Amino acid sequence: MIPGKTPYLSVKGTIRSIVPMAQDNYLFDFTERTGSLSGCRPGQFVELWVPGVGECPISVCSGRVSESIQLMVRRAGRVTSALFNMSEGDSVGLRGPYGQGFPMEAFKGRDLVMVAGGLGVAPIRSVWQYALDHREEFGRLVLIYGMRHTNDILFRQEFKFLLRRRDIDIFIAAEEVVGPALPPIAMQLGRVTDLLRQAEISSDSCVAVCGPPVMYKYVIDVLKERNVDEANIHLSLERHMKCGIGKCGHCFIGGKFNCKAGPVFALPEIKHVPEAIECDAASLQGGLE
Amino acid sequence: MLSPTYFLPKERFPDFLNALKSLGQVFAPVKVSKQSYSFKAVEKASEIAFEALRTILPPKKFFYPQSETLVKFEDGEIKECIEEPVFKVIFGVHPCDLAGLGIMDTIFEDSPGDTHYLRKRRTSMIIGLSCMPDKHCFCQSMGTDCPEKGYDVFLTDIEDGYFIEGKSSQGQKLLADAFADKVLERAREAHKDRYKRFWLDRSEAFETGFKVDNLRSTMDLEWENPVWEELGDRCLSCGNCTPVCPTCYCFDLVDVAALSSKQDGSGDAERRREWDSCQFVGFAKVAGDYNFRPGPVDRLKFWYRHKLHGFDDAYGFKTCVGCGRCTVSCPSGIDDIVKVVNILQVARQEKDEGQPK
Ligand code: SF4
Ligand code: SF4
Repeated sequence: MIPGKTPYLSVKGTIRSIVPMAQDNYLFDFTERTGSLSGCRPGQFVELWVPGVGECPISVCSGRVSESIQLMVRRAGRVTSALFNMSEGDSVGLRGPYGQGFPMEAFKGRDLVMVAGGLGVAPIRSVWQYALDHREEFGRLVLIYGMRHTNDILFRQEFKFLLRRRDIDIFIAAEEVVGPALPPIAMQLGRVTDLLRQAEISSDSCVAVCGPPVMYKYVIDVLKERNVDEANIHLSLERHMKCGIGKCGHCFIGGKFNCKAGPVFALPEIKHVPEAIECDAASLQGGLE
Repeated sequence: MLSPTYFLPKERFPDFLNALKSLGQVFAPVKVSKQSYSFKAVEKASEIAFEALRTILPPKKFFYPQSETLVKFEDGEIKECIEEPVFKVIFGVHPCDLAGLGIMDTIFEDSPGDTHYLRKRRTSMIIGLSCMPDKHCFCQSMGTDCPEKGYDVFLTDIEDGYFIEGKSSQGQKLLADAFADKVLERAREAHKDRYKRFWLDRSEAFETGFKVDNLRSTMDLEWENPVWEELGDRCLSCGNCTPVCPTCYCFDLVDVAALSSKQDGSGDAERRREWDSCQFVGFAKVAGDYNFRPGPVDRLKFWYRHKLHGFDDAYGFKTCVGCGRCTVSCPSGIDDIVKVVNILQVARQEKDEGQPK
């Protein structure tokens, strides 16, 4: 069967609101009328198209997607810069949702530890929103969020409310104090791994991790110290998913397309795959493009 | 029931070509320089280079062009761009390239199917042609030396004529019609004997190759073999090895703004796909400036691994079909799959033997 429509076709998303966040990150809320994105699950992503400039994969950062979808975007390249020049009412192309996302169903009934590093907090937000929406279906909820500088914190307003809740334990840390004083948010100095060592983590917890590639090895090591079963560690891998549908080859990892089989993998699926999670500082290289 | 087989005397080939031309535009290998061949539109049998082994580009170019527009943004609306394909007959495709097309088919058919490729592919007829291997051919090692899929009709050269088999229903219909028109004869026992002999002789004719059954473990266990650094040092990252490969499908998606457009992307634009290469430095770069394959050696190893067992898990096949194109088109002489595999296998064997039982 030849599909009638090209799978590369986007639907129109209209910017409903733009909320500036820390460090060149904006939270965009798009209205999408066809409903084609409404089945979006935590950890999935969409391709955002600024016609004439290009597309880029962005993970969904809200736990509920209906006729509105939220995307956290950092101004980093040409596409995101063009998006930052747009205003409310302007339109972009959106297609998706793509990928497998976090296995939320499998997490139910268990303790859930969410680990976010830097911008990885955006997809992890969809996980905590989902879990809080279905609060009684989960055991303990632990949220761990680490960042480079104190003023990198995203969703500061949301955290103010979250920190008051008793049904989720939140640990936030930054490596360095930079920038203006923050509103009173319980934040310590340190790394994600320090937080992981402090938090009470039951050995049968499920873990959802998203952060910069360099973070994974260390997070995995600490989770193993805490006797968490590898099969319960789910990592969202970052690759440049250009097509999103398992064709273009850019996100190929070992034997799999990250955009289709991932971006979330259970650790045993990828731990023996060369270059899946290791990424040392030596591989940090010049700018994109 | 076995489908009938036919015999085409060589002097009647022009009539067979006419039958193909009545279906659509015919493309076949044509000699374009002293040593190179290319699939081009042909009118007369005399233009066809029957002796051609590997064309510069494999036949994937007919269904997956180097650049094509997928989607358009016009007058504020997003529209798809799917052209109506014209029927193409590709003549003279050898077993390695047939296997290559079969692999491309699997990738582009996998859900969600790629409309752009599939439309063109399903509006075509592939006529396979037998060949005798040269020193770079190793399809036998890859198990792609006998045509299995990806074609409609296959011709085996049995000296004074061709032994012809039909595979698909459109292929069988072509043959039945050509038979009715007296272009083809029914294959007789003598033809069948010569056909069998041809394939036996051919299987003896391979000069190069390797054992394929331990490929996966060899690749994985020899991931740190020093030969990789040597090859990496010599790789120019020119990306020659990928467009010539019948199974390399990677592409980039780029926007082309209409001349009237403004910088901010508010005007008309096209979204195009263009062949890309995993050998280019930015191929595996992600946001935040992480590059998963920063050095030529990382990219070369990735490529070798992908060709030799990368799709074992996803699709159950390897993505090298042994055509030898990468070997002959690498300016540094390092894309020699046979040589590299042999080095790795020897290293493996030495380690195995060195181990206490
Ligand atoms: S990897 Fe080289 S030999 Fe194998 S199919 Fe591709 S071009 Fe041919
Ligand atoms: S292996 Fe050869 S053809 Fe491929 S990029 Fe390197 S130098 Fe170029």
